[in-house]
Amino acid sequence: MRGRGDTRDLVDSLKGLGGDVRVVEHPDCTIAKRAHYAPPWADVSIIGIAGSSGSGKSTLSQAIVKKLNLPWVVILSIDSFYKSLDEEASRRAFRNEYDFDSPEALDFDVLVERLQDLKAGKRAEIPVYSFEKHARLDRTTAIYSPHVLILEGIFALYDPRVLKLLDMKIFCEADADTCLSRRILRDVKDRGRDIDGIIKQWFSYVKPNFEKFVDPQRKVADIIIPRGVENHVAMTMVTQFIQQKLHEKSRRHRAALTRLESQALTNPLSNKVVLLDPTPQLRGMNTLIHDMDTSTADFIFYFNRFCTLLIEKAMDNIPFASTTITTPLNHCYAGLKPRGEVSAVVVLRGGAALEAGLKRVLPDCKTGRVLIQSNLRTGEPELHYLALPKDIAAHEAVLLLDAQMSSGGSALMAVQVLVDHGVKADRIVLATYSAGRLGLHRLTTVFPEVTVVVGNVIQDVEERWVEKRYFRC
Amino acid sequence: MSTTSEIAPTKCVGPDYRAEEQKPTATVSTAVDLANVTVLSQTPQLIALLSIIRDKRTDRGDFIFYSNRIIRLLVEEGLNHLPTIEHPVTTPVGRVYDGLAFQGKICGVSIMRAGEAMEQGLRDCCRSVRIGKILIQRDEETAQPKLFYDKLPEDIADRWVLLLDPMFATGGSAIMAVEVLKSRGVPEERIIFLNILASPEGISNFAAKFPKLRTVTAFIDQGLDDKNYIVPGLGDFGDRYYSM
Repeated sequence: MRGRGDTRDLVDSLKGLGGDVRVVEHPDCTIAKRAHYAPPWADVSIIGIAGSSGSGKSTLSQAIVKKLNLPWVVILSIDSFYKSLDEEASRRAFRNEYDFDSPEALDFDVLVERLQDLKAGKRAEIPVYSFEKHARLDRTTAIYSPHVLILEGIFALYDPRVLKLLDMKIFCEADADTCLSRRILRDVKDRGRDIDGIIKQWFSYVKPNFEKFVDPQRKVADIIIPRGVENHVAMTMVTQFIQQKLHEKSRRHRAALTRLESQALTNPLSNKVVLLDPTPQLRGMNTLIHDMDTSTADFIFYFNRFCTLLIEKAMDNIPFASTTITTPLNHCYAGLKPRGEVSAVVVLRGGAALEAGLKRVLPDCKTGRVLIQSNLRTGEPELHYLALPKDIAAHEAVLLLDAQMSSGGSALMAVQVLVDHGVKADRIVLATYSAGRLGLHRLTTVFPEVTVVVGNVIQDVEERWVEKRYFRC
Repeated sequence: MSTTSEIAPTKCVGPDYRAEEQKPTATVSTAVDLANVTVLSQTPQLIALLSIIRDKRTDRGDFIFYSNRIIRLLVEEGLNHLPTIEHPVTTPVGRVYDGLAFQGKICGVSIMRAGEAMEQGLRDCCRSVRIGKILIQRDEETAQPKLFYDKLPEDIADRWVLLLDPMFATGGSAIMAVEVLKSRGVPEERIIFLNILASPEGISNFAAKFPKLRTVTAFIDQGLDDKNYIVPGLGDFGDRYYSM
């Protein structure tokens, strides 16, 4: 669907230039049913927590995260979005004469952009602000794939564009003297300020700004929480709300996967599913790999040997370019070379079993890792860990490795992760020892551009026995 | 043998799902119509590997690594010609897999010295395989190949033999090696000759001389030059692998 829109935009813009336009059918357009997959992080729920400085916003946020104890709940502090100060402002800041407690000090444009990226399921680079230097640092921190995001800061409920993106608006309340004493303790300890400066700032900026900008935010809040974390009733309300949101997301994600199943089974396999020829040698290796009585040493030997061929086959599906070389006898030969860098991404844990084969074919290939685990209770795939080569979007091909693909849930998620990191789907070659028809259908209806190289196609959804056998646990 | 002036076949290579215009062109193996010769599938990946080992600028480390990758593919294909029987097994998840088991014992025989470069690839696929060696050199006086040395498994007559020689120009040594094996009781139909690069005239002559022997090669080149070197070739395999 997206592909079609792109083509039309492109054609329209060319027409505007008055050029001769030939409409080339985009490969996507010929696929009648391109299914859509929404990962659970595609529509992140954002909870805004505002309140006076020292009112306990961050303590509350941390308490919520700790109580939920899930990697998908992430805190984003609005302090990261302080504007970098120019020299003059910076001098004032060091003299405690710069107004950090006015909405003017924050870069709401960048904040809104980043929140929109996260809402769209994309990776967002969050600036890192140094309170010691009063400047943004060169590095950024990436946030990717949270299911729930807690946006915390004195002005979390200030900008109307931010308000539109929030699913729950919380205002923290505390006595002014509590706030001041907390602020003194924090600024002395964490931000290296002196008490005179802190008090000067409080009365010239914090207090007037509170009355003018911070306090009015209570009017847009859904709930107002007095006494912060000590307020157990409020804490329970908030965590229950988040748990309900997470549950909804998980249910929608699983329902989306099930929907893909019903439309999948009637269609024949896509022509981008490449099966290894079942030669006598491959069937012989498969026999030893499948036989429960095969010794571990033999299992690992034959699995590695099989996977070497699987990776060689995957390499047939990367893009090549013509090249003419000269032989030692000074004859020319019209050969081929890979068009660019080829890297790999291992879907953990199973994919790591293919790394011995990978290293035999591409010993120095850059290798990213993604840990996707199926939830034991719901069967829903969950993304736990991610480390990709920085320049992955520029690679000509990315081999995505997994030992077994049954329902296709984790493969879909892994491809989505790569696409979210700028890898074009047609550059992805998924290589897997075995795959179920259902999983293959699901993956290729959502991502028809992806090539899938498969050692064995099986009819049913199967438990992940290969990695258990390979890693012996 | 005369110099061949045939034009090398050039084709678009790539997977079936790609349109012709999306596939780059390259020179592929010369086609030979011989029932007992198998040429590896001319995939873009194989052509790219051959391009590296043919390139005179490729250093020895890369030459060894990339020729090993081709050799492994040759061994895997060669082993497909061994006899099999049905052998169903039960998988760890209780499913029955309709498997195959191989029958018969195998051994490798390398024609020294270039053939020995293929032993690692053979061992990568068959861990504890027995490997015999044959040394054949050109006799200075007669200019004919002469057997200098051989050391073969004692029970070689009961085994399938994977005969290893990466380059096949006129095939003088390979023909003599086959005759040595036959004289030790190995039937022709149990010899599988594994080769990286062959000349069309050499391989046709060999296939006609030993009709029951199977040859598996990665590529049949354009022909031979007046010094009987394979054209365009890859230079002296043994030198590039061992000493250059």
